[in-house]
Amino acid sequence: MRHWILFKTIFKKEWIDYKRYPFNMISSIITVYLVFLVFFLGLKFIAGGTTKFGSTTEGLIVGFFIWTYAISAYSSLSWSLMNEARAGTLEQLYMCPLGFGWVSIFLIISDFFLSLIFAVPLLFLMMLTTGKFLHLDVITLFPLIVLTISAGYGIGFISGGLGLIYKKIQAFFQILQFVFIGFISAPVDKAPILKILPFSLGTRLIAENMIGKVPIYRMPLSDLFLLFANAVIYMGLGMLIFKQCEKIAKKRGLLGHY
Amino acid sequence: MNKALLEVEGLRKIYRSNRKETEALSGISFSIKKGEIVGLLGPNGAGKTTTIKCICSLIYPTSGKIYVKGVDALRHPSFALKNVSAVLEGNRNIYWRMTVKENLEFFAGLQGLDRNYTRESIENIIEFFNLSEKRNVQARFLSRGMQQKLAVACAFIKNTDILLLDEPTLGLDVESTYELKNLIREKAEMDGKTILLSSHNMRLIEDVCKSVIIINRGKIVVQDEVDNLKNFFRVNAYILEIEGKITAEDKENMKREFLLVKFQENKYNTIIEVEIKDTSRIYDIMDFLRKKRVMLKSIRNREPDFEEVYLRIIRNETLDTIQDNI
Repeated sequence: MRHWILFKTIFKKEWIDYKRYPFNMISSIITVYLVFLVFFLGLKFIAGGTTKFGSTTEGLIVGFFIWTYAISAYSSLSWSLMNEARAGTLEQLYMCPLGFGWVSIFLIISDFFLSLIFAVPLLFLMMLTTGKFLHLDVITLFPLIVLTISAGYGIGFISGGLGLIYKKIQAFFQILQFVFIGFISAPVDKAPILKILPFSLGTRLIAENMIGKVPIYRMPLSDLFLLFANAVIYMGLGMLIFKQCEKIAKKRGLLGHY
Repeated sequence: MNKALLEVEGLRKIYRSNRKETEALSGISFSIKKGEIVGLLGPNGAGKTTTIKCICSLIYPTSGKIYVKGVDALRHPSFALKNVSAVLEGNRNIYWRMTVKENLEFFAGLQGLDRNYTRESIENIIEFFNLSEKRNVQARFLSRGMQQKLAVACAFIKNTDILLLDEPTLGLDVESTYELKNLIREKAEMDGKTILLSSHNMRLIEDVCKSVIIINRGKIVVQDEVDNLKNFFRVNAYILEIEGKITAEDKENMKREFLLVKFQENKYNTIIEVEIKDTSRIYDIMDFLRKKRVMLKSIRNREPDFEEVYLRIIRNETLDTIQDNI
């Protein structure tokens, strides 16, 4: 019951945040859309792409969709930790009797659903612009997106943890966004070892569904298992590193610093 | 017997950075009983905030024990946090984009409090803290005084037995400080809360707290009731008002003869403030003035304000050394 109350509380707080910053959300959608246009027009003139779907417009839409969702996932935790520290409310979150672990998990879940407000319009905008309407099978897409994006939250935990100690690591956040492009467009068909990278296998499977219309039950079990393991490992690793950083921050008395 | 609700035993904290060690707390111990309001005083860097943050599990102490309701808070932080809420750094504890009501709802929810309890309590607390007109106003649009009232209200809404208030009136004007002081005192008495209040505002401490803990350089210098500390200084200081002025030579003689003598002259009278080691020496002062044919208009015990008591304790370190000097 207390967990449910805490989840509702965190979700409402995040929702209020979205509501109170409408300009921020709209401008983010426009900016990301403009970046997409640059990629799209670039693709029209320059042939390339390394994945099975990478060289097609449909592949670009899927890759871009995952990229924006991944950025939103990892930045939600890391940015909100830094913002809360700056605002002086982080210590209050740490005083939750259920523990900050639950606070952060509920922050992630809330963010996952609230990111749809951002990601879905963007997806439709991209499809409208390109005239390529992709297959949207929610039953298949939902678990695949959750598992794919989990790696993003894992990385978010790592950068959030580092942010607790080192504070000024915004530059690192920005660089990471471009590293994600590399992960998403990794040629997993040519080099299967790359499936262990975050987002790479998930993007490939999501593209299989959105472009190739392959439902989840027809996908190779080994790939689904690997995707699951990938999600658990990155998330677990992220949480482990975060916990270590938190210990250091508490030892050095850095939680309230900004 | 009234049991201690909060106990701190041998709390020690050493910060290590770049091969440098700073001892913020050198093994402090104290306990607070149920319903007590205790002031935590000390100059900047004395270790007040570190003490409070250790109790809240926000800083890991190097060694020592903290017990909340008899339970080891370091081993069971979840239990401790069910019973402890805190205001840290004045108005920096609330969400500026949330309204007054939303902030209160959030902090109640963070504590895991049931909505049925919360709804009525929020209304009561909004009314009690005179925030009714601002209930739907975002915190960023409130005055600093109101923001800090809201921060304190958010600590009270958690309905914990123990409240730790670190500088709740920091940066407030006289009027806002006065209002917040009364609200804290009334609410604490009404709900029977146990409070550890840290502040540099001695009037606030004097008016709200029954006893104080004064720490300096990580060590407890004094732990006593406010009245006891004031009494300690009261008996040895006098203010004498005499007619006319006193010569420079006589002033020097008095300064040599008695401890700490201050003169304040106006057009017709002179006010002499004098401290003596033994109260019987007041007769020596009288004799001195009679010899000089000075007309005494009035004499009274000087009522030491708590700020002065605090400053003297901090400067002299312990009551024993103060005793020796007077």
